[in-house]
Amino acid sequence: MIRMEQIAFHYPKREALFENLSLHIEKGQWVSIVGPNGAGKSTLAKLINGLLSPAAGQIQVDGLPVTREHVDEVRKKVGYLFQNPDNQFIATTVRDDIAFGLENRAIPREEMLDRIQEVAVELQIADWLDRHPASLSGGQKQRVAIAGLLVLQPDIMIWDEATSMLDERSKQAMMEQLKELHQNRNMTILSVTHDAEEILASERAIVIKNGQVAADMTPLELFEQEELAYECKLMPPFALALSMAMKKKGCRIAPVQDERELVNAIWPS
Amino acid sequence: MQTRMIMGRYVEGDSWIHRLDPRAKLGAMVLFLVAVILASRGLELSILTAFAVVVLLSSRIPFTRYIRAAKPLWPLMAFMFIFYTLFEHGGDIWLQWGSFRITSEGVLLGLFAAWRMFLLISFTSILTFTTTPIALNLGLESALKPLSIVGVSAQSWTMMITISLRFIPTIFQEAEKLLKAQASRGADYQDLKLMDKAKMVLTLMVPVTVGAFRRAEELVMAMEARGYVLDAPRTSLRTLTWRAADTLFLLLFVIMLSVMIVL
Ligand SMILES: Nc1ncnc2c1ncn2[C@@H]1O[C@H](COP(=O)(O)OP(=O)(O)OP(=O)(O)O)[C@@H](O)[C@H]1O
Ligand SMILES: [Mg+2]
Repeated sequence: MIRMEQIAFHYPKREALFENLSLHIEKGQWVSIVGPNGAGKSTLAKLINGLLSPAAGQIQVDGLPVTREHVDEVRKKVGYLFQNPDNQFIATTVRDDIAFGLENRAIPREEMLDRIQEVAVELQIADWLDRHPASLSGGQKQRVAIAGLLVLQPDIMIWDEATSMLDERSKQAMMEQLKELHQNRNMTILSVTHDAEEILASERAIVIKNGQVAADMTPLELFEQEELAYECKLMPPFALALSMAMKKKGCRIAPVQDERELVNAIWPS
Repeated sequence: MQTRMIMGRYVEGDSWIHRLDPRAKLGAMVLFLVAVILASRGLELSILTAFAVVVLLSSRIPFTRYIRAAKPLWPLMAFMFIFYTLFEHGGDIWLQWGSFRITSEGVLLGLFAAWRMFLLISFTSILTFTTTPIALNLGLESALKPLSIVGVSAQSWTMMITISLRFIPTIFQEAEKLLKAQASRGADYQDLKLMDKAKMVLTLMVPVTVGAFRRAEELVMAMEARGYVLDAPRTSLRTLTWRAADTLFLLLFVIMLSVMIVL
C-alpha cells in the first residue's frame, strides 16, 4: 500500500511543483498515472521510493515511512523501471546486471546463481545471459531490466514511461508482462504512461496536473472526458473512439475497449 | 568493431595462461617490469627475452599479435634509439662529422633501450590478451583492496571501470548514429578534408557529451533504486579462485628476478 499525505515538493531553485498532494493506492491495485508533460509524474514516482524527498508531508510504503532510516527497506519493496533501457543497465553482461541488485543486498553467491537462473527462465532471457547490453535491442534490454527488478522480489512495481521508447511489438509484450505481474503475483503497479491500451487495461487512472491530483477515476471515465484526455496527450484506441462518436450521434451504445466488444455492441447476437 | 570494443584486447583461447588468476598475472607483470628496469647488460636482456618468448608462446596466441601490440610505440622506440646513438659517445667511433659522432656503444645502448621498451609492451600485452575485462577488473579490485587503509576505495574504482566498460560501446553507437544522420544529410565523413573531418568530430562532441551527462544522472538513480550504496558491504557474483598453478606462475617470476639480481 502506498500512502502520500499532504506532500509538498520543489526542485532546488524552482517554484513549488506540489504544494499539498495526497494519494492512496491499495495493495494489489494497478494504477495508471497520466498528465501533461512536466506535470510532475516522474517526480511523484521518485518520491515514492525515496530517490527524492518531500519538503513537507509524509509518504508511507507498506506502513514504512519513506525517510532516511527506512529508505533501504522501502527500496527492497519497490522495483523501479526507467524510461531509457540503456541508462539502467549497469554491468557488462546480462547475468552480471541481474546480479547487481542482489550484490547490493549482500545475497550469498549460491543463492544469487539460483535466483538469476529462475528469473531468467521465467522471463525467457536465459539465452542472453552472457551477452553485452550493447548487443541487445531496446525491448530486450527492458526485459532484462525487469528481470533485474523481479529477482529482488518486490511487492510494488513503478514503471516510468517504460515502454515509450519501444516499438509496437515490444510494447505489447511489456503490457502482457504487466498483466502477468498484476494477476499472478498480485503486485501493486504504478505505471506512468501515455499508452491508451495500457491505461485501459489498468484499474484506475490518476491525472496529475498543476501540482494536484486533477482526476482519479476508472480509465474508461478518463477517456470519456475528452478534453482532459486530450490535455494528457491521450488518444483513445480506435474502437473506443468510434463507440464514443456513435454515442454522441445518438446511437445507444456503451463505450467499448476493443474491436470484439464493439462488434458485439453494434450487432448483439 | 562491436565485439572489439566490448572485449577490449581480449583474445579468446584456452591456454593455461588464459586460465590463470588475473591477480597472478598482474603480480607477474609487475615483477617482469622490475626485471626489465634492472636489466642493463646484454646477458640479462637475453635471459629476459628467452623467458618472455617461452611464456608468450604458451599463451598460444600468434606471435605477430604481440608485435603488433607494440606498434603505437614505435616512434617512441625510434626516438630512444636515436637519442642514445647521438648522445652516448663511448666505444669505437664509427662515424664522425664535426662534433657529431656515432659510436659502437651509442648504437648498442640505443638498441638495448628500444628493445627493453618493446619487450615490456609486448609482454605485458599478455595480461590484456588472455584476461577478459571482467576478470581483469576483479583482479584490480582485489589488488587495490590493501589501499583502503590509506582511504582509497577499491570498490568505487572498479565500479567506475565497470561502468566505462559498459558505456563506451553505447557511446560509440550513439556517435555512429549521429555520424550516419549527418551522412544522410549530405556530409559524408569519408570524403571530407582533414579540417572538415575535425570540425565534424567537434560538432559531434557536444551532443555526445551532453548525452553522457544526462545518462550519468539517470544511471545514478537506477543504481540507487536497486539498492546500491557507495562502499556498503556487498557480495559478488564473480569470484576469483587462486590455484596452485597461480602460485607456481608467480614463483617462476620471483626466481627469474632473483637470478637476474644475483648475476
Ligand atoms: N532534476 C531536476 N531539476 C530541476 N527541475 C526538474 C528536474 N527534473 C524535473 N524538473 C522539472 O520539474 C517538473 C516536473 O518534471 P517531471 O519530470 O516530474 O515531469 P513529468 O510529468 O514526468 O513530465 P514528462 O511527461 O515530460 O516525463 C518539470 O517542470 C521539470 O522541468
Ligand atoms: Mg517523466
